[in-house]
Amino acid sequence: MSMNVQPDLEFIKAMKEAGGDTLKQCYQCATCSVACPLSSDDKPFPRKEMILAQWGLKEKLIYDPNVFLCHQCGDCTEMCPRGARPGDVLGAIRAYAYRALGWPKALATLCSSVKNLPILIGIPAAAILFCWLISGGMHIPAGEQFARVGYTQFFGHWDFRLLAKNVLFIDLIMLTAVGIALTSLYKGISALWKGMEASIGLKDVPYRPSLVQFVKKFLWPSLIEILQHNRFRECTVNVDRVKGHRPLMLGFIGLFIVTCYSLFTQDVIGIFIPSMHGPISMWNPVKLLANVSAVAMIGGIGILWLNRTKMEAAGKATNTFYDWFLIWMIMGVGVTGLAAELLRIIGIPSLGYVVYYLHLIAVAMLFLYMPYTKFAHIAYRTFAMAFERYRESSYIKNPLNQ
Amino acid sequence: MSDTAGNGAVLVVGGGISGITAALEAAEVGIDVFLVEKNAYFGGRVAQLNQYFPKLCPPTCGLEINFKRIKDNRKIRTYTLTTVKSITGGPGNFEVQLETMPRYINSNCTACGDCGQVCTDEIDDAFNLGMKKIKAAYLPHEMAFPRRFVLEKNACSPATLDAVKAACKYNAVDLDMQPQTFTLKVSSIIWSTGWNPYDANKITNLNYNSSQAIITNMMMERLAADNGPTKGKIVRPGDNKEPASFAFVQCAGSRDENHLEHCSYICCMATFKHISYIRDQYPEAKIYVFYIDLRTPGKYEHFREKFMADPNSTFIKGKVADIVAERDGGVTVIAENAVTGTKIHQKVDLCILATGMEPALGAQGKALGVNMDGNGFIVSDPERGMISAGCAKSAVDVYSSGQSSTAAALKAIQIGR
Repeated sequence: MSMNVQPDLEFIKAMKEAGGDTLKQCYQCATCSVACPLSSDDKPFPRKEMILAQWGLKEKLIYDPNVFLCHQCGDCTEMCPRGARPGDVLGAIRAYAYRALGWPKALATLCSSVKNLPILIGIPAAAILFCWLISGGMHIPAGEQFARVGYTQFFGHWDFRLLAKNVLFIDLIMLTAVGIALTSLYKGISALWKGMEASIGLKDVPYRPSLVQFVKKFLWPSLIEILQHNRFRECTVNVDRVKGHRPLMLGFIGLFIVTCYSLFTQDVIGIFIPSMHGPISMWNPVKLLANVSAVAMIGGIGILWLNRTKMEAAGKATNTFYDWFLIWMIMGVGVTGLAAELLRIIGIPSLGYVVYYLHLIAVAMLFLYMPYTKFAHIAYRTFAMAFERYRESSYIKNPLNQ
Repeated sequence: MSDTAGNGAVLVVGGGISGITAALEAAEVGIDVFLVEKNAYFGGRVAQLNQYFPKLCPPTCGLEINFKRIKDNRKIRTYTLTTVKSITGGPGNFEVQLETMPRYINSNCTACGDCGQVCTDEIDDAFNLGMKKIKAAYLPHEMAFPRRFVLEKNACSPATLDAVKAACKYNAVDLDMQPQTFTLKVSSIIWSTGWNPYDANKITNLNYNSSQAIITNMMMERLAADNGPTKGKIVRPGDNKEPASFAFVQCAGSRDENHLEHCSYICCMATFKHISYIRDQYPEAKIYVFYIDLRTPGKYEHFREKFMADPNSTFIKGKVADIVAERDGGVTVIAENAVTGTKIHQKVDLCILATGMEPALGAQGKALGVNMDGNGFIVSDPERGMISAGCAKSAVDVYSSGQSSTAAALKAIQIGR
């Protein structure tokens, strides 16, 4: 009897591209599962994930909560007797999972390769340029006007009180990006959750938590844990990442607050008090928060950038587009944002407008590509952590059944 | 006569079971053989074992007859405490510089033991892997050949030295001995430099130093040996507790690119042998063996089957990657069982690390121009007049060492003809 074995070339290629081709070295000694400070006694990883990947059982991997619980601290890679680099392999599996769970598929595939970088930058660049062209706001203001309005009339100005022209265009661009991203994440997380439930053999649960119970018991504690960086701190080899990741995350939270404030004052209060339009005063506490957050973001991503460079030089991490694309995007957002602000303050409108245009591209990329790049971890890992709590809870482990 | 014939003599470096075998095989067909050994005695690692494969003989069984053959053979000249310093020339005309370290006891010694009686200074017993102290004037072990005492002069006070010298009835103590260098001319060199147990301290995650309940497999041999530190009683070092449970940590440092990349071949069998020692003394003790895969080639399979059938022995597929010292003197070993997919924290009274074989010649070999592979094993190179044998060549058991040593002797003879 002859057997026709068709290797899953697509999966193998995906693992290679994302830096996981060392997985074939693994000989299942399970050192990694003990080395990993995050792996639990009942459901240890990454040994099992290594053999699932070797066998090409990608369906099992995509819905494996452990894949997302891994923080890639590299303790396993450090101790691996075969150089199979389980930490990097799990990173590659995550990259594959984001792609597999992502919607629309074409966009998810586009984000997986450095070859597509021109297209990835080109899409928002063209869309924003197109908006700029049709907005009619295509003129660079004189110094005195620039000082007064800053970039708030990038897409022009009209006297319609209820919605500023600039806001309309920015909303058009960013809300589209965010909308696609959120739809994708919603679909992805729903699929992941169902898959994770199936992976522990969960079919009929007599009692399910209500939304409030779910948030209170599983999601909120996970968010608190993420904020505190407790799992990051468990790492030994690469604990320095906390120094970068924490300011970066706090920076993001700060900027999120500022964006909400800005949206509220400019678009809601601004309807009644037109003076609320225009740049916020430098001494406004919110502006202060914005600047501190921006610095924290650039500083944080800078530390992570250096950290990764150092690790790659020491051969402790593989150079992959998957890891660097997110670092580049965040650095892009931070640097162009701060540069645009500085150019406004010192009053160079022409260059300021170019930098602001780049800033809009970077922000749009960060939003749009969030579900398909490493950035997706903020959603998928959070829900995996919530699931980890859920599967240990009495909803699943009914004490009466045991 | 070939152009590499020279004087036909063979230098055998390393006087363990491989070196002894190679030396005898060559000498007994009439070749001049120089057998040099770095220790004060011949017999190497086999002398330290309690029993050895394939027939679980005590080392006296194989070594004694060979020592007798050496003593009876005028073609073999033996040198202890001697190492190779440099090599010049090529096949047929090697000139080898050697150095003999002072023993401070000359050939008048009858091993009567009077010097040891009066010696008050003590040193770590290297033969027993430091598990006990011995007098600084000592016979390395009961069966030591040559049967002559050694004086560790540096460890002794001047008063002790005077007492030791005065105690000897045969004028055998010579405190003025100096290191001696000499040159040998040989046609070929057999490297049978053997192995050292891999340093367990280097496997940092196993916390070897954190508890006396963690021992190595070679220490287990000494514990089980009648001439060992406990007279053959397997007890926990430190508190002499009779262990009720044992954990064997396989591949401790072997098959690991951070330590020894190669499989040390003997450790799985050594563990099964140790289970047989334990079963002789503790028929009911719990035994846990943590392994990646068990390698018991050929006829050793039957030995494995016999001990795997033991109801009090558990075999867990998963390498121990962490050991935690417990307050009661025991340790907890941590591994993932790859078959069930859950982690195990197994508390035991005594934990044995199955440490592997590290080729003993090391960096020195490179300096002497010896051809070595990436793991430090010596590559046989008859074209250059250098042949390797036993565990210097690859990690093997005594049986295979005998085969490769006989083969090495044949090669060496051919170079010198």
